[in-house]
Amino acid sequence: MRRRPGIGGLQTAAAARDQYRMLGENVAKIRTDLMKEQLSTFRSQLEDFARKHKNDIRKNPAFRSQFHEMCAKVGVDPLASNKGFWAELLGIGDFYYELGVQIVDICLATRVHNGGLIDLQELCNFLCQRRKSAHGAVSEDDCLRAISKLKVLGSGFEVISVGKRKLVRSVPTELNKDHNAILELAQAQGFVTVEEVEKRLSWPSGRATDALETLLDEGLAMIDDGHRDRKRRYWFPCASSLSSVGTDTLKI
Amino acid sequence: MAGKWLPAAELTASGRPVLFPGEIECSILSSVDLHSEENPNFPYFKVGILILTTHRLLWISDSAPGTATAVAVPLAAVNHIFSLKKSIKSIFASPRIRFQVSAAPDGKVDAGGSNLAVITLVLRGKNDHEAFVSKFWEAWRGRAWVSESSKSASGSASGSDVGGFSSREGESGWSSNGLRLAGVSGILRKEQEMWESTDKSLQDAFQDLNALMSKAKEMVMLAEKMRQKLLSGPTTQSGANDEEMGSKQEMQDWMLSVGIASPVTKESAGAQYHQQLSRQLADFVKIPLEKAGGMINLIDIYCLFNRARGTELISPEDLLQSCSIWEKFDVPVMLRKFDSGVMVIQNKSHSDEEVFARIKSLALKPDALKTGLSASDAAMTLGMAPAMAKEHLLNAESKGFLCRDVSADGFRFYINFFHEIDPSGLYFVKDYGTYATWIKAAIASCIQGYRIAQLVYFALFDPRRKDFIICLVLLKLPPAFSQIQSYTYNGGRP
Repeated sequence: MRRRPGIGGLQTAAAARDQYRMLGENVAKIRTDLMKEQLSTFRSQLEDFARKHKNDIRKNPAFRSQFHEMCAKVGVDPLASNKGFWAELLGIGDFYYELGVQIVDICLATRVHNGGLIDLQELCNFLCQRRKSAHGAVSEDDCLRAISKLKVLGSGFEVISVGKRKLVRSVPTELNKDHNAILELAQAQGFVTVEEVEKRLSWPSGRATDALETLLDEGLAMIDDGHRDRKRRYWFPCASSLSSVGTDTLKI
Repeated sequence: MAGKWLPAAELTASGRPVLFPGEIECSILSSVDLHSEENPNFPYFKVGILILTTHRLLWISDSAPGTATAVAVPLAAVNHIFSLKKSIKSIFASPRIRFQVSAAPDGKVDAGGSNLAVITLVLRGKNDHEAFVSKFWEAWRGRAWVSESSKSASGSASGSDVGGFSSREGESGWSSNGLRLAGVSGILRKEQEMWESTDKSLQDAFQDLNALMSKAKEMVMLAEKMRQKLLSGPTTQSGANDEEMGSKQEMQDWMLSVGIASPVTKESAGAQYHQQLSRQLADFVKIPLEKAGGMINLIDIYCLFNRARGTELISPEDLLQSCSIWEKFDVPVMLRKFDSGVMVIQNKSHSDEEVFARIKSLALKPDALKTGLSASDAAMTLGMAPAMAKEHLLNAESKGFLCRDVSADGFRFYINFFHEIDPSGLYFVKDYGTYATWIKAAIASCIQGYRIAQLVYFALFDPRRKDFIICLVLLKLPPAFSQIQSYTYNGGRP
């Protein structure tokens, strides 16, 4: 390109730069698209292999670790066996153990959002997403069976029925830090309501109710339904200071 | 002493060997002796665990944990493995496997040494020695240690095949088709060629399992490249659909889990399976424990451990068994069961003793002496869930550190100073000790402090008030004022 002097020259130079930039962006975009395509091919091939040659892969330890590395880097879940006939009938075989591991995995990942309480239907959806090309979707019954196989490891996982819905709780009461958060909130006024908890801590509704009910069971909270606005208040005598209560009784 | 002849091997805190990158265990045998018949100075290693890996032969002594020693024979130093001699004598005696290693002049076993020495393994346990010998041959012939260094050289060469012709062709200025690699068209052509070669190698690799095995290293590098490009790339396409975001999230999730390159399996470990598994678990558990703050649900560990092992899953029963074996070894973690049936793994340092010490110091503060300790107070100060704190307080009570007070305000705990009350000197108020601290705190706070002081004084110095003292202490003063008053009136004027 011939350099032209003056304003015209500057404008041409700017236009040329723009064109180069657009071209560069285009190329980058094409490159990314191609790479994505290759990645998805890579993935589907890996999944196929994981399913068909599972036993062979397991026999060769050196290759197995490399295969896992590949799967890990590309984002393929190597636990993808099919549900055999006998597995379904007798409840044995790898399928349910793998499903168990995947379930706990999903619960761990979503724990930050829902505080350890997840709807069974939602869990099944996540599972189906993970096991994309599985032959036959995963039913709720399969999930329940897999969870029951985990019972050997203690009662950390339980399935609670709330009306028609079933919820899976993955954080046992002893390890649940939600309660501490509620107690802190309660220190301000001595009581909390469900709306306040949801607003301040930005929790979904089920989580707040569940935590408050558990605190009620533990004996740390008391219900007050007699307020004018009909909202249920949860009082925490332990959180409020005691001296105010003590002075009243002394004056008897 | 052993270091003079054989290089030492590192062990983790739980007694598992520290493996080199890429080193994988093939076989584990127990009750094996290691010695050299012809060399009298060579130490006799008796009764230990022998681990055959792709790179080394490790021997770990089975002695008390903490004092375990480990030595290693690098497979690179092995020159020849003698075949098993079959004779009448060998049927009754323990099988012996002999192999020749090269050693340096001072006797130390070294791959590049000039001298030769013969080492004998005596397999005293009930092991399948023929299978072991064949695995030994395989591992030795596989030469994994050599191929590592050469593979990395060839890997970079083939990597450049896959990764781009830029480095090589950049110098010549010509691409493989002889077209000029200059300017914008050159760049575009380079991209095209790179993409085509990647495609081809992908197709080749996935033809069948053997092809994949041979091209495995290449594929791993390709996967790494893809991941880096797509994860760190700018999300300029704001209209990224859910599937993409979901898959990105997946990739990131996987990255968080630390993989175990050489998991203990039934094939590799045989009879030693549970022992080695439990040691590997103890090593693995350290990082998640720290992240979770010292205590983690057993089911969470089940998931994380299985994820790290890849497809080599263990059943929940195996996990439980491994955790129960921990008591035999000296590992810094322990399994704990709660009354509600929940099982957790916790650090031994987080154990009861430490928590009791903290609770005690909490209970001795002036506030706690006045009004006692409730589960929620303890929870907030100790940084754990209220149910957990309540459990700890109840434990402390059963051990005798605390006393409980059940009143309308709920469950509270006070420090227990019963053990300080000497039955013979019942009527002497000591100036030191928990009792005195409590008196001071109780007196300082309550409104009717003078009243209390009177009560205490007379109670302690009046022989008739023997039973009164016990009642007084049992009632834990401040919250139960009304009861004190009733007792005072019943017992007569102070």
